[in-house]
Amino acid sequence: MSSISKPDSNLTTTLTPTNQLNRTLFGHRLVQGGILLTLIWKWSFFVAANSMYDAIPLSDPFFPAWLQSAITVRVAFVTAVAAVGLNLATDRHRLQWICSLTALLCMTVLCIHQASYNDMTFVTAWWACVWAMWFVNHLNDPDQASLLRRASFLSRLIISLILLGGASGKWTAEYWSGEVFADIYFKDREFWVFQWLRSYFEPDQLRTIAMWYSRKVVLIETIAGLGLWALPPRIAAVMAILLLASIALLSNFLLFSVLFALIGLASVGLLVPRS
Amino acid sequence: MLMIVTLIVTIAIWLLLMPIVPAIASATLHRFHLRTSSFTVWAMQFPIPAMYNFANRYKVQADQVSSTPSDTVPLDGRMVNHFPARIFTFADGRYLHLRHGEDRWLTIESSYRGQSLRTHFHAEPAEEYGFELHRLDGNPGTR
Repeated sequence: MSSISKPDSNLTTTLTPTNQLNRTLFGHRLVQGGILLTLIWKWSFFVAANSMYDAIPLSDPFFPAWLQSAITVRVAFVTAVAAVGLNLATDRHRLQWICSLTALLCMTVLCIHQASYNDMTFVTAWWACVWAMWFVNHLNDPDQASLLRRASFLSRLIISLILLGGASGKWTAEYWSGEVFADIYFKDREFWVFQWLRSYFEPDQLRTIAMWYSRKVVLIETIAGLGLWALPPRIAAVMAILLLASIALLSNFLLFSVLFALIGLASVGLLVPRS
Repeated sequence: MLMIVTLIVTIAIWLLLMPIVPAIASATLHRFHLRTSSFTVWAMQFPIPAMYNFANRYKVQADQVSSTPSDTVPLDGRMVNHFPARIFTFADGRYLHLRHGEDRWLTIESSYRGQSLRTHFHAEPAEEYGFELHRLDGNPGTR
């Protein structure tokens, strides 16, 4: 097997078969780690769902019965955690493939179940699982540098799409005026940013701050949604990680459940060899 | 990879057209209110990301409300980030509003670039256990 190498002037870019394998396996594990963190961050949801959907079932003819069942949520969530955990630990290709498929199926169920359809955590995790399924299918490709470049491109496309989805739904007057965030976050949300702002500013000043906060969100999601995918891998990776982390750090730590899977995907760009 | 890229590009086009094609915004409003024509069509839309989309208001009442489609006064409820029917379907809302086992009426309204959709739900205590969810604005759709 031949190695892919750069001229001697840059030893860090020389890829031997061993470190190629490590890079791709590391990339696979970064994404699995992101998905696992996403699910662990959602543990409080699972605990609540575990008791609530048995205690207060809500019969709705819109959903098939099995997609209203508390048992379905339990099985899908716990199986997903187990599959992702095993996928993170194993280096057996067949098992990685089975775990990736299992996690993808579980996320699909959670995305359409009455109890969890509304939670974007499972949508971002589903997209990360789609990426993982594709990546595992190519883990044994001979040209691993090319695989990492394609994997990074796919991860950038997915992150761009998620951000574009957030942006396009905000291209409306209620977000441009800040009305939505003013009510959801600035009015009474117990989070350090908003508590601090409430302690220093009057309600009419808070409305103005909410407007600029909202416009900042709309513009950043729009720009990143339209352009992130086209950036070079490493620059895109750093920008995406900073952007995604800032979303949770400046608005709501619970959002890390939505973002960890995407941060894992973004990190793949850091593994692309310089060329 | 081509299949995944095709799916991503298709969804991206859908999202980019949403502000200028009222039918797409309407489909998403109905998706948010669990009022898509069928569950299958609704479920097919799950990969479309919708974080903090639209202006969604909700109001939960202990007194009976009726469907008032001609009502043009904005709903005086709180805002919620997306999928406003979550107020009854998601765990925290279920606990908050339904744990006492009494009738509750939920009105949700979503607005986007001049379009809006208002939906009324009635969570009625079931004979034996839990609740039955009724829509007061028409059929919930079939599978």
